[in-house]
Amino acid sequence: MKELIETMNACSLIELEGIPISPQLGENIDLLKKMFSDCSDFVIREFRQKNSVRAIAVFVDGLIDTKEVNSALKSLMVLEDGDQDIKVIEESLLPVSQMGRVDDYKKLLQAVLSGDTGILVEGNTEALTLGIRGAEKRSVNEPEGEAVVRGPREGFIENIRTNTSMLRRKLRTPRLKMKSLVVGRETNTNLVVAFLDGIADPEIVQEVTGRISKINMDAVLESGYIEEMIQDNTYSPFPQVMYSERPDTVAAALLEGRVAIFVDGTPMVLIAPVTFWMMMQASEDYYERFQMATFVRLLRYVFLIISLITPALYVAITTYHQQMLPTTLLLSIAAARESIPFPAIVEAFIMEISFEALREAGIRLPKTVGQAVSILGALVVGQAAVQAGIVSAPMVIVVSLTGIASFTIPHFNASISLRMLRFPIMIAASILGIYGMLVSLLLILGHMANLRSFGVPYLSPLAPLSIGDLKDVLMRAPWSMMEKRPSFLGVQNARRMNDGYANSIQQRGGQSGVTGNRHQSEEGQS
Amino acid sequence: MKTVTRILVVVSLCMFLVSGCWDRREVNDMAIVIAMAMDKEPDGRYRLSIQVPLVSSLGAQSGGGGGTSGDKSYYVDSAVGRTIRDANGLIQARMSREIYYSHHRMIVIGEELAKDGMSDVLDIVARFPENRLTAYIVMTKGKGIELLTAQPQFERFSGEAMRELVKMGGITVSLKDVAQMLGTPGVDAILPVLAAVDSHPKGKSKEIEATGVGLFRQDKLVAIAKPKELLGLRLFQRDFTPFSVVVSLNKHERLTISLSKGRANIKPVIKKGHIHFKIDLYASAVVVENQSNLDLEEEKNIRMLQAKLVEQINSGVKHMMQTIQQKQSDFIGLGIALSRNYPREWRDRYRNRWNEELPKITYEIRSKVNMANFGQTTKNITQGEDDHE
Repeated sequence: MKELIETMNACSLIELEGIPISPQLGENIDLLKKMFSDCSDFVIREFRQKNSVRAIAVFVDGLIDTKEVNSALKSLMVLEDGDQDIKVIEESLLPVSQMGRVDDYKKLLQAVLSGDTGILVEGNTEALTLGIRGAEKRSVNEPEGEAVVRGPREGFIENIRTNTSMLRRKLRTPRLKMKSLVVGRETNTNLVVAFLDGIADPEIVQEVTGRISKINMDAVLESGYIEEMIQDNTYSPFPQVMYSERPDTVAAALLEGRVAIFVDGTPMVLIAPVTFWMMMQASEDYYERFQMATFVRLLRYVFLIISLITPALYVAITTYHQQMLPTTLLLSIAAARESIPFPAIVEAFIMEISFEALREAGIRLPKTVGQAVSILGALVVGQAAVQAGIVSAPMVIVVSLTGIASFTIPHFNASISLRMLRFPIMIAASILGIYGMLVSLLLILGHMANLRSFGVPYLSPLAPLSIGDLKDVLMRAPWSMMEKRPSFLGVQNARRMNDGYANSIQQRGGQSGVTGNRHQSEEGQS
Repeated sequence: MKTVTRILVVVSLCMFLVSGCWDRREVNDMAIVIAMAMDKEPDGRYRLSIQVPLVSSLGAQSGGGGGTSGDKSYYVDSAVGRTIRDANGLIQARMSREIYYSHHRMIVIGEELAKDGMSDVLDIVARFPENRLTAYIVMTKGKGIELLTAQPQFERFSGEAMRELVKMGGITVSLKDVAQMLGTPGVDAILPVLAAVDSHPKGKSKEIEATGVGLFRQDKLVAIAKPKELLGLRLFQRDFTPFSVVVSLNKHERLTISLSKGRANIKPVIKKGHIHFKIDLYASAVVVENQSNLDLEEEKNIRMLQAKLVEQINSGVKHMMQTIQQKQSDFIGLGIALSRNYPREWRDRYRNRWNEELPKITYEIRSKVNMANFGQTTKNITQGEDDHE
């Protein structure tokens, strides 16, 4: 042990695996002090129990609830006699609800650095961890990235336990499993893989946990790290893992047999496996009545195509296929373009890139400056550029239409990938016209058909076709008709609701029976 | 092997890039032809005239410049060449923008060219891919270029005015129709005749007016008929367009009656080598103007009107049939009716000399008019009040 203390240098937790806790408290103190030298927030509190047995409490200042730790220590130092044996202390002396026993340094420090308080007692090879955490955290707020008109207004926060509790509040069932994992040599980030036992395909769960446990990187600061490490195709422009900050979205995904990955320190919870169509669906689709939801969905598909191809189509038609336009429209475009110094593709690039820059600037800038940017942008990109004859008015219309269209896609990562794909299509359109556009669209489509997310084809249930699942893709069928879970995910239990309930309501035609009876009795009285 | 694939990839990528752009054409490098006119010069060469809008004067953004020339929003240029494309080349040689034909919607055929036969020049319009078969084709008395230079008040270009006029006029002939009419034995072509006339009261502008119908035998113009002479023609058109006739009761009393629906049925009978056509006409009529004391509430008056209309239609169609026989131009497709009912006889005997056969045919006309509606009132309202006083 002494050699260890001497050779000990800055090391990460994994290297501590298997190093046992020494029965001699002094050695433990030396080791911890050496390890946490220059750590002003790491506290080693030495004390004697009432029966004079030496012990220490170790914790990180700010991560614990000081009051509660004080009262726990009080019971050892003042109220009870204390005991040499740590088992007795655990079982009968410490009034703490969450407690664990660890026997090596890795486990001990992992707990302590996560906010537990460690208790080491002279003569024991085991230590106690008291789960009295009290780190500062943000309160639960409305999720800003996924706002809804109708639906719950709570969003995940940065604390993983709060997040899992929010999910548990949605799914109060022992079937909801939450496997705990730790990733990151230096961050030791807690991960929770949540799934519904008996619904999710066990192979997918295994694949997800397997991929995560193979990750060996120094830090996980956001769920994006995990997403990029476990996705199937790194070079694909399409996201193969979805994220959400809404507990209801995550719960719905689990109920469809998917797997959720909570990462400590971020409100973004990953959902896998996903399909392309999921990216086009908002949680509100399922809360609003189905006619409206279906209409909005179709609208999104239309605007998906618009956001992808409008600038390319404009470039292709005005440089190659002028015959496709109605004559009067061509004349007004020609009139608008008369004094424009650039070819259509250059014009389109100028406008699209400045639009993207505006959008990015709008996100990054402090909110107070954001106003100025939008005013400047509207003036510079819109009015002034057209009046100065640098870009044509139709191009401004095309770019704004594209911008609006891309914002109708509910998931941000899908909308940015489509916005990115716009540029290669524009280039292809400028070289080969509509033929080039079609070639690039076909390449994209082929890639999407080839793509898989954890073994699930990206375009399913459309390709490969499973007709029964289409009722939740192009349209949103009424809930009473969605009796089964999507089958392409390999769910264990396909049935969502009992058979024919909707039919029975339709056939009965409301509550006419009750009022009918009352009328009869009234007639009888008279 | 690896280098080979690498070279292949690079070469194919280059092919993708260099094979593009060859037909790239910016909108502001084009001269968009709205209408074109074809004439025949006395020396047998062709004159091609094109009407091109000056897009810079079309009310675009004012900034940035771009020359405007006068107040006209279009420009007409013409050249004489041995062929139409030859003439086109001559125009192109003095035009800074590429002449672009995909948007021309009017073709004007000059009178001389129509008389000489228009098949030769129409080949170019069908062969050249930029041309549209949906473009309307009209002819004019005199030179076609005069129609292009006219400046009507309503539209910015006379080509547009012609198009709207033709669409309304009832006899609408597109390039495709002409091709069909010329290519089908048993029917001859007709073209609407437009003319540029001075506006009333006289102003700067020259308006376009539909003045008649050109009748063709094969591809050659044989006569230009006034609209009145072809009263019945619209009944024989595939798409009936309403038109009105004036019925005179006596010297002062007249009614205007609009025929709102019409149908013609041609049934040929061959008896002993003689062709006889039974023409059944049906029309339904609406009174649109009553300048008489006629009380339309009374059924006998309605009957009387119907009889008058039948008489008028019969005489009109008879007149038309006489024109057909005199000019030997079968523009209502009697031959088609014959070929459908007597395919063998048609093929063996008439097909190749149908136009010569036309004067020999006989026909009978039976009309039926149904007075469907006589407007909002029965009598002329002012005269009705006179009666009460």
